[in-house]
Amino acid sequence: MKQFWKILKFELKGYFKNKIFVGITIFLVVAIAAVMFFPNIIAAFKTDESETPDVTELPVMLVYAEDDTLAGIVKEYFTDAFADYNVALAEGTLEDVQSQIISGEAECAFVLDSAFSYTYYVNNLTMYDSNTAIANNVLQEVYRVTAMLSNGLTAEQVGEIMSVQIESKTAALGKDQMQNFFYTYIMIFALYMVIMLYGQMVATNVATEKSSRAMELLITSAKPVGMMFGKVLASCIAGLIQLIAVFGSALLFFNLNKSAWGENMIIQSIFNIPVDLFVYMLIFFILGFLVYAFLYGAIGSTASKLEDINTSVLPITFLFIIAFFVVIFSMTSGSLDTPLMKVCSYIPFTSPMAMFTRICLSTVAWYEIALSIAALVGSTIGIGILSARIYRVGVLLYGTPPKIGTLIKTVFKKE
Amino acid sequence: MVLEFKNINKSFGEKKVLKGVSFVAEGGKAFGLLGRNGAGKTTSIRILMNVFPADSGEILVDGKPIDYQAIGIGYLPEERGLYPKKTIMTQLVYFAELKGMTAKDAAKSVEYWLDRLGMSEYKNKRLDTLSKGNQQKIQLITALAHNPHIVILDEPFSGLDPVNAMLLKDVVKEQIAQGKIVLFSSHQMNYIEEFCDSIAIINAGKIAISGDLHDIKRNYVRDKLVVSTTTPEAIKADLVNTCTEREDGSLLIQLTSPEEKQSMMEWLVANYDIDEVKVFEPSLNDIFVEYAGEQI
Repeated sequence: MKQFWKILKFELKGYFKNKIFVGITIFLVVAIAAVMFFPNIIAAFKTDESETPDVTELPVMLVYAEDDTLAGIVKEYFTDAFADYNVALAEGTLEDVQSQIISGEAECAFVLDSAFSYTYYVNNLTMYDSNTAIANNVLQEVYRVTAMLSNGLTAEQVGEIMSVQIESKTAALGKDQMQNFFYTYIMIFALYMVIMLYGQMVATNVATEKSSRAMELLITSAKPVGMMFGKVLASCIAGLIQLIAVFGSALLFFNLNKSAWGENMIIQSIFNIPVDLFVYMLIFFILGFLVYAFLYGAIGSTASKLEDINTSVLPITFLFIIAFFVVIFSMTSGSLDTPLMKVCSYIPFTSPMAMFTRICLSTVAWYEIALSIAALVGSTIGIGILSARIYRVGVLLYGTPPKIGTLIKTVFKKE
Repeated sequence: MVLEFKNINKSFGEKKVLKGVSFVAEGGKAFGLLGRNGAGKTTSIRILMNVFPADSGEILVDGKPIDYQAIGIGYLPEERGLYPKKTIMTQLVYFAELKGMTAKDAAKSVEYWLDRLGMSEYKNKRLDTLSKGNQQKIQLITALAHNPHIVILDEPFSGLDPVNAMLLKDVVKEQIAQGKIVLFSSHQMNYIEEFCDSIAIINAGKIAISGDLHDIKRNYVRDKLVVSTTTPEAIKADLVNTCTEREDGSLLIQLTSPEEKQSMMEWLVANYDIDEVKVFEPSLNDIFVEYAGEQI
């Protein structure tokens, strides 16, 4: 036990003295600060500019119709609908309009055959061009208004009809997926990033000790269980401290900029995570991290050279990516209580993500949660001990990394 | 203190690596564990260090099974290696702490050894900035800083210049004088001969020979003569099957039995111009080649 603490302390110090670790943490905090201060920075710049942009600086949208009255009405409506354009009536022939677009004098043009039919001219049609959709709505509105007016309704009546408001309320009796979606997504994504980053770090750390032959001395100085748990828990603590630094600074910067973000539902929901979900998040995060970190450590011990690490860890990385995608697909499709997700909620490699997602976005009975956590705690300890055994065998093997089957056979045979 | 390996067996899978290894090493003396590569030396050392257990057999200290809480072991592995990117002091203190010392005692002991080996100026430097010889000295400190009862030195002199080799010799002599068991494993027979009172030669997992080095030499069958002569060709022609020329130009004559020694000497002196004739006394190298040379 004494050895375990010494290893933990040594490894943890290693992380805090690692320039890459410190660099990434500072970079993330600065990036978060930049995002959080963004609205205020934008606001600060805006005050220097005039509130209403000069219409002549906007790109030109031409409206062309044989019927001058139609052209006039449409131009009036388009001016309101396309605030980002300088809407103008076209002069000359259709060819003139086309050459104006090609030369860049105008960005686009609506050439109306009638009130129901037009051709949209644009030089390069971008993927995000939604002008025709807006124009369709505007032209439908123009038609409806003229029709109603010609049928004897007053302008006020038409105005009321067109601007009628529908009031609605939603009462979620289970979980509100929209409310919980964002922090569930953030936790799943954070877990994914942290496991990928730190898992690889643990594996590399073990393989470095092996390739530098420091292992010869370590294995004769400390017990493998102490080594494995010390290393993995140190990486877990380092990971948590990094996350606390990142999310803590996010919370701090959010509070400093609360007025600017007040209206943003996503940001509001992230920082208003209920306490019980936060506790579940911590439990599943730590246990999920440990399960994978132990495996990464064990695999790292079987590699003789650092170059072998990338191929050796592939099976675990694939397992993790599959788990990640199962959960993300279930999340985005909204169907969380499928048999697959239920099974995944009890398998230690998938349960940290699957069960947490179900707790957040669906209704799960307390005993199901308890069972999932119990299975996860048991497997974490079991996988930890198994990893320590693999480690003890693995670190003394040099040459081609052994096959997983052979390794496990050797591990159990030895006892 | 007496360390005893008693009938140790160890297999890895189908391969039997140690087959009933037994030897005795005493405190205050250096013990040479010899053998060719792959003979089972490192496996024996790892079993002694409790890296993995033996399949059968016992390791005794003063007649009782070894207690790893009470008996400290220092190890200088043949494959040298520490943390290249960490500072000398940090890692030396860490290793001493892993061996059970408190942080304060570890730092004090490491300071002493750095000073003793003339390495104090490097204590805050990273390991990879040091020369190979100096890295070797740092590695030696990891084996000695926690003041172990048993010191295992695997090829301790490889990579050292003559000055550092002399320094290491003094340190080893100090350790022996303090009554510690010093276990040497080396292929450099001259160092083994210089330090070790007892040896064990392992060949293919078995002890080929073990015991006091002087006794081993004394008991070596005295059935060969070394002859210096001005007429080697004539002797070789007369003793075609039993005479071979040695590297230094002298002749080695194999006798049919040790009893033939006297008559052969007289016959040689009577018939040839002989400068010197004596019974062949083997060096450790000769003993090693004879006992470890062929797989049993």
